[in-house]
Amino acid sequence: MIDAVLQTLLNGAASGGVYALVALGYTLVFSVLGVINFALGALFSLGGYVTYLLMGGRISANGALPGWGLPLGLPFTPALLLAALLTGLASLLVERLAFAPLRRRGAEPLLYLITSLGAGLVLVNLLQMLMGAEGYAFPATALAGLPDALQVAGARIRSVQVLLLAVCTAAVIALTLWLERSRSGRALKAVAEDATTARLLGIDSEAMLRLAFLLSGALAGLGGGLIGVSISLPGPYMGIGYGLKGLAVLVLGGLGSVPGAIAGGLLMGLAEALVPADASGWRDALAFAILFLVLLLRPRGLLGRRQVEKV
Amino acid sequence: MPQRPAPWPAGSVATAYHPPSLAGSLTSSPATTLPARPSWRERGALRLSALLAAGVGALALLGQQAEPAARAVPPADAPNGALTIGAVIALTGNANLYGQDQRVGLSLARQWAQSRPRQPGEPPLRPLHFQLQDGGSDEATAIAGFNLLIRQGVLALIGPTLSQQAFAADPIAQRRGVPVVAPSNTARGIPQIGSFISRVSAQSSVIAPLSISEALRRDPRIRRVAVFYSQDDAFSTSETAIFQRTLRARGLTPVSVQRTQLADNDFQIPITAALQADPQLVVISIQAVGGGNLVRQLRELGYRGPIVVGNGMNTANIYPICQRWCDGILIAQAYSPELDTPINRRFRELLRRSSPDHAPSQITAQAFTAYQVLFEAVQRLQRRGGLQSVSLGQARKALMAELLAGTYDTPLGPIRFTPDGELVQGRFYVAEVRMDPGGRSGRFALVRETASGDGAQ
Amino acid sequence: MIDHGLLVQMLIGALLGISVYLPLATGQLSLATPAFYAVGGTLAALLSTRWAALGARVDGSFPLPSFLLELVLGGALAGLLALLVGRLVLRLQGIYLAIATIALVEIVRVAILNLPFTGGAVGIFGIPQPFPTAAGYLPPALALLLLAGWVCQRLEVMALGRAMAAVREDELAARCMGIATTRVKLSAFVLSAVLAGSTGALAAHFLNTWNARQGSFDTAVTMLAFVILGGSRSWLGPVLGGLLLTALPELLRPVGDVRLVLFGLVILLGPALFPQGLVTPALLERLGRWGEGSRP
Repeated sequence: MIDAVLQTLLNGAASGGVYALVALGYTLVFSVLGVINFALGALFSLGGYVTYLLMGGRISANGALPGWGLPLGLPFTPALLLAALLTGLASLLVERLAFAPLRRRGAEPLLYLITSLGAGLVLVNLLQMLMGAEGYAFPATALAGLPDALQVAGARIRSVQVLLLAVCTAAVIALTLWLERSRSGRALKAVAEDATTARLLGIDSEAMLRLAFLLSGALAGLGGGLIGVSISLPGPYMGIGYGLKGLAVLVLGGLGSVPGAIAGGLLMGLAEALVPADASGWRDALAFAILFLVLLLRPRGLLGRRQVEKV
Repeated sequence: MPQRPAPWPAGSVATAYHPPSLAGSLTSSPATTLPARPSWRERGALRLSALLAAGVGALALLGQQAEPAARAVPPADAPNGALTIGAVIALTGNANLYGQDQRVGLSLARQWAQSRPRQPGEPPLRPLHFQLQDGGSDEATAIAGFNLLIRQGVLALIGPTLSQQAFAADPIAQRRGVPVVAPSNTARGIPQIGSFISRVSAQSSVIAPLSISEALRRDPRIRRVAVFYSQDDAFSTSETAIFQRTLRARGLTPVSVQRTQLADNDFQIPITAALQADPQLVVISIQAVGGGNLVRQLRELGYRGPIVVGNGMNTANIYPICQRWCDGILIAQAYSPELDTPINRRFRELLRRSSPDHAPSQITAQAFTAYQVLFEAVQRLQRRGGLQSVSLGQARKALMAELLAGTYDTPLGPIRFTPDGELVQGRFYVAEVRMDPGGRSGRFALVRETASGDGAQ
Repeated sequence: MIDHGLLVQMLIGALLGISVYLPLATGQLSLATPAFYAVGGTLAALLSTRWAALGARVDGSFPLPSFLLELVLGGALAGLLALLVGRLVLRLQGIYLAIATIALVEIVRVAILNLPFTGGAVGIFGIPQPFPTAAGYLPPALALLLLAGWVCQRLEVMALGRAMAAVREDELAARCMGIATTRVKLSAFVLSAVLAGSTGALAAHFLNTWNARQGSFDTAVTMLAFVILGGSRSWLGPVLGGLLLTALPELLRPVGDVRLVLFGLVILLGPALFPQGLVTPALLERLGRWGEGSRP
C-alpha cells in the first residue's frame, strides 16, 4: 500500500517537474509583458533537437541533409546547457520577429497570441524539414554509468526520471534565488511588478524584457533536452503537447506567479498519476477538467493575485 | 533630489506596455474610437459583402470545369499518350513519418517499372505519368488532394496515408468513379466504401493473431497478459481489438489494459499500473516512436517477459528509440525483408542504390506494391486493347475490373483481390527483433512464415 | 485553381471565423468554437448514420429536409450547451477565459474519443450525402453565411449589438450605464455556439466522416487567426480571413514541402503589417463614401 502511494508520488513528481519548467517559461514572459508566448512549445522541441545535434547526433534519411551532423560530440551535460543557451537565443529571435514589431506599434495583446503561434508553426515545420519526422534517440553516452532504474523503498523509478526531477528542481531553485537575490533578478521582478516605478528607478525595462525571453527560452530548451534523454525525440511536434500542458499549469497556478507555476506543475503531475488504469483514456481530459474547476472557483488561479479592476 | 528618469527611446516598452492587469481586458484597443458615422460604415459593409459574394460566385463559376471523365483516352503512341497515376500521401503533419517512407516506395516502384526487362515480342507499354500531392495528416487536406488530382484527369489514385483520411477522401473518388489503391489503410470497412476502393495493406485481423500464437507456442504456460494501446489512433484501436479477441479465444483475459494517447511517450504511470498485475506477456499496439519508448521503459522498470508488438512498430525507426531493449520483441508482418523472391530482391536492390540509409520497411514495400499493381493492371488492359477508343471514365472502370481480376507477384509475396477490393495475401511472417551488439541498429529476423488459409495461389 | 470542394471548405472557414468573432465583439476571447463545431458534427454524424427515420438510403444518399433538420438540431444542441457552460465561464476575464475555453475544447475532444457510441479513434464514417457533388454544398453553406452576416449586420443597429459594442469598449462603464453585461456576453456566446454547431453538422456531411480530431486546440488557433488577420472590428473581417486563410495552404501547393512554413510566416508577419486586420472600420468607411465625391 505504502509502496503504491510512494510510486504514485514519484511518478507524479517526475512528470510534474517538467510541466513546472514549461510553466515557468511562460511565467517569465507573462510577468514582464502580460502576454503568453505560444511559441514556447516549439522552442521546447528545438531544445531537444539542438541537444541531440550537439552530442554528435546525425540527421537521418528523411531530413534535409541526410547523414549530416555537427563535427562535435559533447558529453550530455555541456550539450544540454549549451542547447539551453542556444534555445534562449532562438527565443530572443522569436521576440524580435513576433513581439517587437507589435510592441512598437502598441498593438492589442491579442495579436501576440497569433504572431507567437505563427512563430511556433514556422519553427516546428522548419525542424521537420531539416530533421524529418522520425524519432531520434540520444547517443548512448548520454546516461552512461547510470543504472536503468532505482529502487526507492519498494517503488521503482527510471533513473533518468530521477535525473529529470533533480535538474528541474535545481533549475527552479536557481531561478527563484536569482529572482530574489541578484541585482538583475530583482530588476526583472521590479519591472514585472510595476514598470513605471522600475523606470523611475532607472531600470532598462527593454533589456529586462529581452532577459525574460532569453531565460524563458532557456528553460524550455532545458526541458526539451531533458525530455529527449528520457523518451527520445518523438518528432518535431513533441513540444506542442508539453506547451499545452504547461499552459494549463500556468493558469492553474495563477498567471505570473512563480510559486504558483511550481505548485501547479506538481499538482497536475500528481493528479495524472492518480488516474486509475481503467480510466486512463480520460487522463488528458483530467488536467483540463481540474483547470476548468479551479478557474470556476478561483477565477485567477490557485496562487494568482486578485487584481483591482481599473476604472 | 529626485532621480531623473532614464531617457526613453521612442517605440519602447513604455508606449506599448501592457501590465498583467490589462490581460483582463485583452481586447481593448487604444487605437479605435467609437463609430462616428455608422451609416457610411454600414454602406461600406454592404458593399464589401456584395463584393465578397460576387467573388465567391465568380469562384464557383470558374470552379465549374469540364468533367475530365468524358475526355477520350489518346492512343498509346500519341505524343500525349501517357496516362497519369496520382498519389496523395502525408508529406506534412504528424503522419509525415509514414508519408516519407511511402514517397520512397512509390519512387522505387517507378524506377522498377521503367527498368523492367522487356519480354521479346511484348507490345509497346502504355507510358504512365506520376503526380504526387501532399495529403497532409487531416481529412480536409486529403479531400483537397483527391479533388485536385481527379480534376486533372488521373486514371487512378494511390492513398491517402491514414484510415481516417480514407473515410473522408475515398467516397469522393468512388462518386467520381476513380480507382483507389490504399497503400496503408488498415481499418475495417475501407474496401466497403465502394466498388472503386481497394487496398494492398492487410487488415490487422489477418496479421495480428500470428504473433500471439508464436508467443504462446514458445511458452504455453502464459496466463497473465497485459495489453497497451493508444486509444486515439485508429490503427492501434482496431489492432488491439484483434489482439484481445485472439487472447480471449485462447482463454486468456488481459489482467491489465492500459490506454495511452498518440502523443504520449512517457509511460512510467501505465507501466507501473500494469506491472502491479504481474504479467507474463505484454501485448502492445502503439505507433513506432511511442511503442519503442514503451518497450524500453518496460525493460528499464524490470519487466523481463516476452513482448508482442503490433504493426505500428513494424519499422526500422524503432531501433534508435528502444536500442538494446528492443531485442527479442515479436512482431507479425505483412512484409519480410528476408523474403527471397526476385521481385523482393529487386526492391531491396533499388532501395539500397537510391536511398542507402533507408531500411526496407513494410510501409515502403506496400507503397511500392500499390504502384506495381496499378502499373501491371494498366499494361494488361493496354495489351487486351481495353484502352482503345474509350473515354477516361470508361478506362477508369475497366482498370478497376482489371485490377481486381489479376494476381500479382509483389515484394509482399503473391497477392490478389476479392471482388470488393479487399486484399488477399498469400504469406505472412512472424519476426523477432535482433539488435546488433552496439544496440543502435538491428533487424527483423524472420522466425516463421505462414501461408494464409485463403492463399493467393 | 479553386474547385467547389475547396470553396465549400473556405465558406466553412468563414462561418467558423464569424463564430469566434461574435464573443470577441463583446470583448470576450473565447476559443470554444471547435468544441461546439465538434458537438454539432458528432450529432449530425450520429443521427444520419444511426437514426433510420431520417431516411438515409443504401446508395449513400440522404434527403435534403433531414439534412436541414440536422443543421437546426446541431445548432440547437451546441446552443444549449453554450447556455449551460457560458453561465460558468463568462465570469472569467481575458486570458483566463481563453484558457478555460481551450480546456473545454480538450474535454469535449477526449469525451468524443472515449464515449462508447462515437466510434473511438476511427470515428463515424459512411455519412450519407444529401448532394451528389461538392457543388451541392455551396447553396446551404452560402445561405448559412448570408444568414450569419445578416444577423451580424442587423446587430449593429439593434439594442443588443449596441450593448455588445459598449461592453467591448468598457465593461465597467457599460454596467454603470445599466446594461446587463452578463446577459449580453451570454447572448453572443450562445449565438456563436449555434453557428458553430450548424457549421459542424454541415461539415460532417461534407467530410463524409467525423472523428474527435475535428475539434482540437489546433483548429481553435486557426480560427482565431481568421479573425485576427481578417480584422476583428467587423463581421466581414473573419469572413475574409476565413476565406483567404483556408484557401492559402491549398494555393501554396506548388511550392511543395515548405508550404506550411510559408503559411506560418503569413500568420507571424500578418499582424505586424495589418495590426487591425484586413477589414478595418476605416476601410469600410472609405468604401461607403466611395463614389460620393468629397461631400462631408
